[in-house]
Amino acid sequence: MNDLYNNAIGHWVIVTIAITALLFVVLTATAYTVWFERVALGRIQRRPGPNRVGPYGLLQLAADGIKLAFKESFVPATTDRILYVLAPCIAVGAAFLAWAVIPIGLWDNPKVTYWIADVNIGVLLVFAFSSLNVYAIVIGGYASNNKYSLLGGLRAAAQLISYEVALGLSLVPTFMIVGSLRLRDIVDYTVTWGPYHGPIPLILLTPIGFIIYIIAAVAETNRAPFDLPEAEQELIGGFLTEYSGLKFVMYYLAEYVNMITVSALATLLFFGGWYLWFVPPFLAFLIKVVLLLFLYIWLRGTFPRLRYDMLMRLGWKVLLPLGIVNVIVTGIILLAVQG
Amino acid sequence: MAIAIFFIAAAMAVAGGIGVISFRQPIRSVLSLVVVMIALSILFLLLSAQFIFVAQVIVYAGAVMVLFLFVIALLGPAKEMARGRLRFQTWLSALFVLALFGLVWAMLQGVQYRQPEKTDLNTFGTVQWIAVYLFTNYLYPFELTSILLLVAAIGAIYLSRKEGDDR
Repeated sequence: MNDLYNNAIGHWVIVTIAITALLFVVLTATAYTVWFERVALGRIQRRPGPNRVGPYGLLQLAADGIKLAFKESFVPATTDRILYVLAPCIAVGAAFLAWAVIPIGLWDNPKVTYWIADVNIGVLLVFAFSSLNVYAIVIGGYASNNKYSLLGGLRAAAQLISYEVALGLSLVPTFMIVGSLRLRDIVDYTVTWGPYHGPIPLILLTPIGFIIYIIAAVAETNRAPFDLPEAEQELIGGFLTEYSGLKFVMYYLAEYVNMITVSALATLLFFGGWYLWFVPPFLAFLIKVVLLLFLYIWLRGTFPRLRYDMLMRLGWKVLLPLGIVNVIVTGIILLAVQG
Repeated sequence: MAIAIFFIAAAMAVAGGIGVISFRQPIRSVLSLVVVMIALSILFLLLSAQFIFVAQVIVYAGAVMVLFLFVIALLGPAKEMARGRLRFQTWLSALFVLALFGLVWAMLQGVQYRQPEKTDLNTFGTVQWIAVYLFTNYLYPFELTSILLLVAAIGAIYLSRKEGDDR
């Protein structure tokens, strides 16, 4: 496998196959995440959720997809056409690009690990691509030429920039402990604690980091309770107001791909990736990602939306100082332990 | 392969630069500048400067330009008016362009092309490599930069305070 990978042509063949497989898997996963969310939300709110189309409503998403694809794509008259179309494309592109550096362990014996690019800067690349996501929302909101869209876009710009800082800081302790930004190194980080020698979920070492990460990540993906850019009760739908048909689907797709990316990243960074006792790696990875996705849905089902000033206060006055203190404390402990 | 990517990225950067000054709508100028930033980051990546690449995307494309966009979006979709144009502007700009290219030409006179010194491409430009230099050889400039940022942050907070606001 490694020989083939190092060969110039073999490398391209493997990467092309990996990208194709990724598109298929992530798109399917997105569809079933939406189904999962609707069913879980239904149960939380004591109603059945989708159960008409196909067994357990599993084909609901196919039906919705076909409906939206054939829907007339209504474009308001005075929009900036080019930017209006460009914005959802940026959303989808940025969402999928992040998956270029996410590795997944598939099997234990022989050891097979999937990845497209295994780069030194690893996690930072995910942040770089997800930071482009803000353009999709601001441009979409601006180009729609609608005051609610514009307000949604502006809210998104401020929110995403504020929480990006906390998101980055939340991971610094992990980098300090592992000494690498490469996602495979972080997953393969092993400890020797008495009789135990092997990989551990890093959340045991940086619990505060995980709390900051998950709050900031929910805000970064514009999900409830941080969905102020959409906020249908106050802004009609924010930047999404004027989007319909396939362009709406693209935004929707990007949102759910981002959710899965954040969950996969949390799995790799805090929950030991694909290691879970005797469970086969790909199954372990899947279980952890699904549990984190459930956390997302659970948050949406139980928390009311934050007011805008509360959002900013939480980001700048709580998460950011907490993140900095977390980094300093981790540094002191590391110095004390390693000498 | 690298040459092809270089020319694509360079063309992107130049096209973006032309876009910044030739678009009438400010928002398109801002987006052109984003294209320039991303093209530059690709050039950094071609030079194996991985960390600079990602810092360029996160900081410039992901944060600085978003603030530009924020301000422009607040101003609304008004077109920039062509007014106050100098009479001899064309000639003046031609003069400046000539001066710039003359400078570039003069600077390139003494340049000799050679292989880079013994650099291990497995470590060059990585996060660890940059961190080692930043915290040893270049520690003082690095710390001075942080003081500059602190001053800027305090200044921003002071300026945004309302008159008679004691908080």
